[in-house]
Amino acid sequence: MRSIKVRLIMLYLIVLLFFLGLGFFSYELIIKSEKWVFSSVNRHLSQGRVSQGEILDRFGEVLACTRNGKRTYHEDINIRKALVHTVGDGSVLIPTSVQSRYAKELFGYSPIAGLGAPEIINMNKSITLSLDSKLCSKVSSSFKDKKGTALAYNYLNGEIICMVSLPNYDVENKPSFKIQTDDKLEGIYLNRALSSSYTPGSVFKLFTCAAALDSMEDVEAKKFFCSKIKIVDGEKVSCMKKHGNINLKDALSKSCDIVFCDIALELGKEKMIQKMEEMGFNSSISFENSKLSQSEYRLEEASQGDLGWSGIGQYKNTLNPMHMLRFMGAIANNGVCIEPHTVKSINLEGDEDTGEKLEVKTTLMLKPSTAQKIREMMRYTMKNQYGDKMFSPALMCAKTGTAEVGEGKLPHGWMVGFSYDASFPVAFVVVVENGDFGIKSAGPIASNMIKHLYSSFKNGKYF
Amino acid sequence: MLFDKTNKIYIPIKYWENSIGRDKHCDIIVNSPMASRNHAVLFRREAGWFISDTNSKGGVFVNNKLIDSQEKLYVGDVITIGEMDFKLCKVKKSSKGKRFGRHLSLAACFPGVLMALITIFNTLATFLLCLSGENFNFAPMTNSLLITGLSWIYYFVARYGLRRTNFELEGLGIFLSGIGITICSSVNLQFAYTQVIAFGLGLLLFNFIVFFIKNPDFAMKCRPYIAYLAVILLLLNLVFGKVKNGSQNWILIGNFSIQPSEIVKVAFVFFGASTLKEIQTTRNLTGFIIFSCVCMGALFLMGDFGTACIFFVAFLVVAFVRSGSIRTLFLTVAAAGAGVGLILKFKPYIMERFAAWRHVWEHSADIGFQQTRVLSYSASGGLFGMGIGKGCLKYIFAAPSDLAFGMLCEEWGLILGYTVIITIALIGLYGGLIGVRSRCAFYSLASCGASGIMVFQMIMNVFGSVDLLPLTGVTLPFVSLGGSSLLGMWGLLAFIKSADERTYGLKK
Repeated sequence: MRSIKVRLIMLYLIVLLFFLGLGFFSYELIIKSEKWVFSSVNRHLSQGRVSQGEILDRFGEVLACTRNGKRTYHEDINIRKALVHTVGDGSVLIPTSVQSRYAKELFGYSPIAGLGAPEIINMNKSITLSLDSKLCSKVSSSFKDKKGTALAYNYLNGEIICMVSLPNYDVENKPSFKIQTDDKLEGIYLNRALSSSYTPGSVFKLFTCAAALDSMEDVEAKKFFCSKIKIVDGEKVSCMKKHGNINLKDALSKSCDIVFCDIALELGKEKMIQKMEEMGFNSSISFENSKLSQSEYRLEEASQGDLGWSGIGQYKNTLNPMHMLRFMGAIANNGVCIEPHTVKSINLEGDEDTGEKLEVKTTLMLKPSTAQKIREMMRYTMKNQYGDKMFSPALMCAKTGTAEVGEGKLPHGWMVGFSYDASFPVAFVVVVENGDFGIKSAGPIASNMIKHLYSSFKNGKYF
Repeated sequence: MLFDKTNKIYIPIKYWENSIGRDKHCDIIVNSPMASRNHAVLFRREAGWFISDTNSKGGVFVNNKLIDSQEKLYVGDVITIGEMDFKLCKVKKSSKGKRFGRHLSLAACFPGVLMALITIFNTLATFLLCLSGENFNFAPMTNSLLITGLSWIYYFVARYGLRRTNFELEGLGIFLSGIGITICSSVNLQFAYTQVIAFGLGLLLFNFIVFFIKNPDFAMKCRPYIAYLAVILLLLNLVFGKVKNGSQNWILIGNFSIQPSEIVKVAFVFFGASTLKEIQTTRNLTGFIIFSCVCMGALFLMGDFGTACIFFVAFLVVAFVRSGSIRTLFLTVAAAGAGVGLILKFKPYIMERFAAWRHVWEHSADIGFQQTRVLSYSASGGLFGMGIGKGCLKYIFAAPSDLAFGMLCEEWGLILGYTVIITIALIGLYGGLIGVRSRCAFYSLASCGASGIMVFQMIMNVFGSVDLLPLTGVTLPFVSLGGSSLLGMWGLLAFIKSADERTYGLKK
């Protein structure tokens, strides 16, 4: 039997193999467990049964919390609907929501307790947003049944106060499968502010204008001529009106297409692309811990006519609303964009004071002189074209846009702008899909939003 | 005890079977040039001591008479090997404490306490499962009560009917099966009922095998019939088999589907072990090789590569423990490697099934689907689990069988998951260690073979599901859903049980 004793080494080798394997697996588990847990395949993250920390708005309104093993949301259906894209519905369908992007923080995962930590531990965790939930709800309902997005933020500290995307839905009563066929619900899971890029139309002229101010000598004094119709290489570019002799300031204010077509042609493809890329086009822009949908400015296959159209914001250009908001912030703040964010603080300990204040990032988007010039031009546009009554008593700078989308549909309406008054440091972007003229569709929504924000600011609510 | 007349020393007999010869690995070494390397075997059966000549050159003489092949010995008989004489004598009183089997009196952890603990554990686990839904659901408890009842009936029969003293192996088997049945209950109660039936049948098979091989000489006579039966089972499987989950290893009988290959494992170990009658007397190795080739060939044709691998490793273990020849080992592995290479050359699509190996995250929607879920959910469970019945992995295809380890980690926690697989590894290790002290070489070999299968199958299952090895869809011994598998495992456990010298010796 002694010989068998020796030959048992075969069996020991198998057992040894097992323990080696187990050791290797344990090593992998320690190194990679977090990656594994927070992968998209994990349904624990989306079932709502696992407890998560709370999500609060800037005034401490509880937007989402886990109670008795169930994820519950704000009691007001309108607030729930307005914030569904920001807060998330617990599923993986809205990857840009706070519940998806800050899953690691909210779930309180640890390799010891896994995701199974008792509710009481996670109850103390919270993420405070900079949003004003009541304002969001109000702005959201002012869209009626139009699709689109509205954004407002403090351009001095980067806090987003309003962010809504339409269409939305009630998280307590999720839409059924008919969303695939129902045109009204198209893109319902999309936060249009972050994950869409629209044809910009005339608001793009602000970028063209910035490019001109940077690259063309004495462009402000230059006299342009608008004869309503211009033929570029056999392609027709037309303006709303015959403006005749016109300077840049009036061209922006009156939104003269011929002038911006001329600027694009004069700068040429290469220069235009270079300037647009400097201002954030054709690259993915970070937003908190995710990326924005890319704004595109591509001219690879463009003819001269297309180049002209691109300066007006038509052709194949697209613009992401949050990108536009950053640009507004940069113009308002001497060319420096204080990066917008929705998360004000992350509180993992349950103690208010230790809540982690997030670092605010800044990006230089424009030369300070260029920013100041555009700011004045936009103020001039506001005063002379739209009238200060629109946002009264706030003094605003603004630009509208009407983006033709073809296919027999109404154009997208844009209105973008910011406050001229640094004691009310708000920049905004409103897009209404197929809403017709910007001033008609986006204007009233922007007006409502700014008036509400102005009174809140002046009452000291936002400090 | 033997008295060496030439050197005037006493030689203790340590084992139930002792090899005698010139080789340094022999239990009793005869330093005589006239002795063969492996000369004879001195062994104990119920009838008394025997000596058997293992084809020695010089022959074995008992009381100066050349023996034929085997001779019964009495105290005072003189055995002559080469020019050395040995006298069989009784152990002197002074050395009583040192004779073999002295540890028999040590009570292995009190069987009753063990059973009580297992019952409490399984009941609590099932109770948690009952609580896991929105409302209290009593249904899983019926399964738990059934196996607890069966276990206690078996316990009393074994203790007071069969008068067995040792209960550790059955205890662990019941513990693991109980966990498995709770897992099945959490997925589908219907699955759990079949598992409970298989558990009951498993206990019967376990005891039948323990009884059947009580007399190894009789058992060995049945060897060819068992081999025929196994081959017929596999052939039936090939002809009538249904393709399920990519391999054709199922036979449907009414509402039941059985996997013959799981039962053939038991026959395979039995056949492999019975080629070795006493240590050194080897016979019919060719038969074993042919039988192995038939089994593995059939499994390959069915597309059940995982089980084929398990058979191959079992073959290696049994062949090596039997012969000790490293050369044979290498030759076998090389031949198998070449064989697999040829098959892959002509049927390269087989490899596609394993293409996701170590790249599962790139295939999380298709061939890496199961593994990525196992990894993600296992890590989600942490050390203490999400709670029994509260997992997500159970909704994944084939979870309670192929991904049982993942379900354990997710719902019961990493600590329990590791406990279960380490328990299986230790049963395997125990099966080897105990083999050295067993009553007959046949038991040793059977125990090694069974242990090898259990541990290797566990490796394939666990590491397959966590992407350390390709996923082959073999079961986790005792725990996984699969009636045939559970039955087969209880059959294999019987071989380990038989290797325990207390099984047939000590009565309570």
